[in-house]
Amino acid sequence: MKKTYLTLAMSALLLLTGGGPAHAQKKGGDVVIAMTAAPPSLDPHATSAQVARNVNLHMFETLYARDENARPVPDLATGVTVSPDGLTYVFNLRQGVKFHNGKDMTSADVVASLERYRKAGASPALVAAISSVAASGPNQVTIKLKSVQSTFLGNLSSPRAPIAIMPSEEAAKDMGKADPIGTGPFRFVEFKPDSHVKIARFDGYKPNPAYKERDGFAGAKVVYLDSVTFRFMPEAGARDAALQTGQVQINETTDGPTAKRLRGNPNLQVIPVLPWAAMILKFNMAQGIGADLNFRRAVAQSLNLEEIMAVAYADIYRLDTSWVFAGSAYHTGRTTPKQDLVAAKASLAKSAYKGEKVTFIVHNDRPTVDTATVIQQQLAQIGVTVDLKVADWPTTSKIGLGSDEGWNLWTHGFGIEPYEGPASSMSHWVKGQGQRKADPMIDSIFDRFNSEMIVNAQQRLFTDFEKQMNDQVIAVNMGNFGLFQVATTKLKNFKPYRIPRMWGVWLD
Amino acid sequence: MGRFVLRRLLASIPALFLVSLITFGLLWLVPGDPASIFLDTSATAEELARVRRELGLDRPFLIRMGEWYLRLLQGDLGTSLLLNRSVTSAIFERLPVTLSLTALAFFFAVLIGVAAGVVAAVRHGKAADQGMMTLALLGLSIPEFWLGLVLIWSVAVLLPIFPAGDYVAFAKDPWQWARHIALPTFTLACVQMGFVARMARSSMLEVLGQDFVRTARAKGLPEPYVVLRHGLVNAMVPIVTVMGIMVGGLLGGAVVIEQVFSIPGMGRLIIGAVLSRDFPVIQGGLLFLALIYLGVNLLVDLLYAVIDPRVRLE
Repeated sequence: MKKTYLTLAMSALLLLTGGGPAHAQKKGGDVVIAMTAAPPSLDPHATSAQVARNVNLHMFETLYARDENARPVPDLATGVTVSPDGLTYVFNLRQGVKFHNGKDMTSADVVASLERYRKAGASPALVAAISSVAASGPNQVTIKLKSVQSTFLGNLSSPRAPIAIMPSEEAAKDMGKADPIGTGPFRFVEFKPDSHVKIARFDGYKPNPAYKERDGFAGAKVVYLDSVTFRFMPEAGARDAALQTGQVQINETTDGPTAKRLRGNPNLQVIPVLPWAAMILKFNMAQGIGADLNFRRAVAQSLNLEEIMAVAYADIYRLDTSWVFAGSAYHTGRTTPKQDLVAAKASLAKSAYKGEKVTFIVHNDRPTVDTATVIQQQLAQIGVTVDLKVADWPTTSKIGLGSDEGWNLWTHGFGIEPYEGPASSMSHWVKGQGQRKADPMIDSIFDRFNSEMIVNAQQRLFTDFEKQMNDQVIAVNMGNFGLFQVATTKLKNFKPYRIPRMWGVWLD
Repeated sequence: MGRFVLRRLLASIPALFLVSLITFGLLWLVPGDPASIFLDTSATAEELARVRRELGLDRPFLIRMGEWYLRLLQGDLGTSLLLNRSVTSAIFERLPVTLSLTALAFFFAVLIGVAAGVVAAVRHGKAADQGMMTLALLGLSIPEFWLGLVLIWSVAVLLPIFPAGDYVAFAKDPWQWARHIALPTFTLACVQMGFVARMARSSMLEVLGQDFVRTARAKGLPEPYVVLRHGLVNAMVPIVTVMGIMVGGLLGGAVVIEQVFSIPGMGRLIIGAVLSRDFPVIQGGLLFLALIYLGVNLLVDLLYAVIDPRVRLE
């Protein structure tokens, strides 16, 4: 009886409060999102930049997409049949899917899009295993692989530089030249490169009937807003001011002190997004002192990760040093290494380090520079002299990615990979891409992981990978950091994700 | 006058060539890769190489430079690496925004600056003079970006009188255009206002102390007539010179102001291009700004002859 009363009371309360968001949805309105930079391209195959993902993944979709927990699930495909040898994938396409130009999506468009990506897509590793792509029916596509790849659906659904499906005539255009015509819930309206991109609800869009709700980049994408404008505002103060005056409804990112101040504003909601990325310190193992394991070990032992993260990301960090985010089935829950200056000095004494200056490159993002500065101070405690070279991203990345010369240490965020999962996280270190010198063990683990279809065995391999990263000190994962998004309280049902998703939300 | 203009136009060609050569030299010296803008922070060397190939950045710098000059001779400034359009169209899309901002700032800086300078000269040594010159010094000393942020905070956020940024085209909505451009114009004009006021004051003081002004007063001419007709007109030559220099300052200031107020003009185009190493836009944009600057200075030289009949252009 008691239980019945409780149920009745709960039901009455639900009725009084409107029964949750399902009853409050309102159609219409324009949301303006303040972004830090303009997307370098609206051609989704041409770029892996975060700012481009923010916009492009509203207009474009992929055969498979990541769900709320980053697992690959069908999006434009209804499903896949994999041959017993694991080399042939047959995708059946959703029927009645329309491009923004009114044309029905067919297998010819899918084949053209995949072939274009194979030729010049911005993340070639995602499609490297494909041997052929063919239309095996008007609504069916067959992909053959060169070798078994357990992570193939993960690659196909990667939001990194998405393997978006576009009309075949657009796919025939050179990289960077395709018009933004996709199948997504929003259609392109206008792009003023140093001002804004405007997209509007695509009324020909039919949400995927296989789902009932929003789910990561997949799910039922129901759009209530009329349009969304992504306004590029590099100046942080201008973004905050525009939010407070109601000129924009969402600020994509703001710093901790501003978020703290805005919490007192009843018209705004501050939304922490944690984890957003891992902060990593990597070594140039191809030349100089970074090639010396004892030196790398000394650096790792000298670091006080708690102090580094607390200074750089005061209000939004988590000491999680696993190479995938918490929530993933592969998350290992590694314990955070403790600073040990005695051991660090002993390791340094065994190394070839003779007091020379160690070149530490870092791009001029404030928290990244703070991270590097604290590391510099901590390394000074064991007698390592660091020459901090702060430059903008084009310069730092050119030095770091361009050649083996010019750097020993490099710190930066590592966001999309730990979100995507173990294969993506490992791939950065395969063939020495991140550390500039191959580690045969890492390469071997990655190869075995790729051909391993059983999850338990994959988990063991990923644990081996993390152990190898740790033992060989290929890089130091210092923990997760987050960011603060701020939105007007009029925006309802907003849930932070890898992009500010504008489907499933409405303005009150 | 025609020959003078033609000679000046011809003389501007080597100046423009020099500007383009210096820009190329700087771009060659400055490190950085535009391809990286297309990639996430955790990109790999393989990904960077692929984007470089797609953008044609894997070809030697000198070959790209030679091609750029060849295209320039045909009136083509090239294509932006990032904007997916020609540099010329990118410039012409943004030019009206920057021109309206700088022209308004120029107008107000000259109007208020000259007026303040004249009042200060006439009231030389008095409270009005000291007040005006203190304000002028303040205008000269305050950094534009700081003033812009303070104005946004005070009259856009705390007292929501003006919008905090952004731009609305005049053709779309004149009232909103005026509201949006008011704060950036005032901020940009402030520094130049102080500059003009100080120059106008010293020039007026020099002229007002001359014999012909004393004669005019002795003839019993009304004081406003003496100050404006005899004083100001003769003090205008150095002020006009300053106005020519001001255009350079305003164009430079617009780069900062457009960034602070999120205005999509030429300054923001060039800043964005510099940050992302969009070489064709940097080249084209700077060449275009140099062209504007040379054009304004030519205009100033022509104005000398209008103001002072003793100046012979030939």
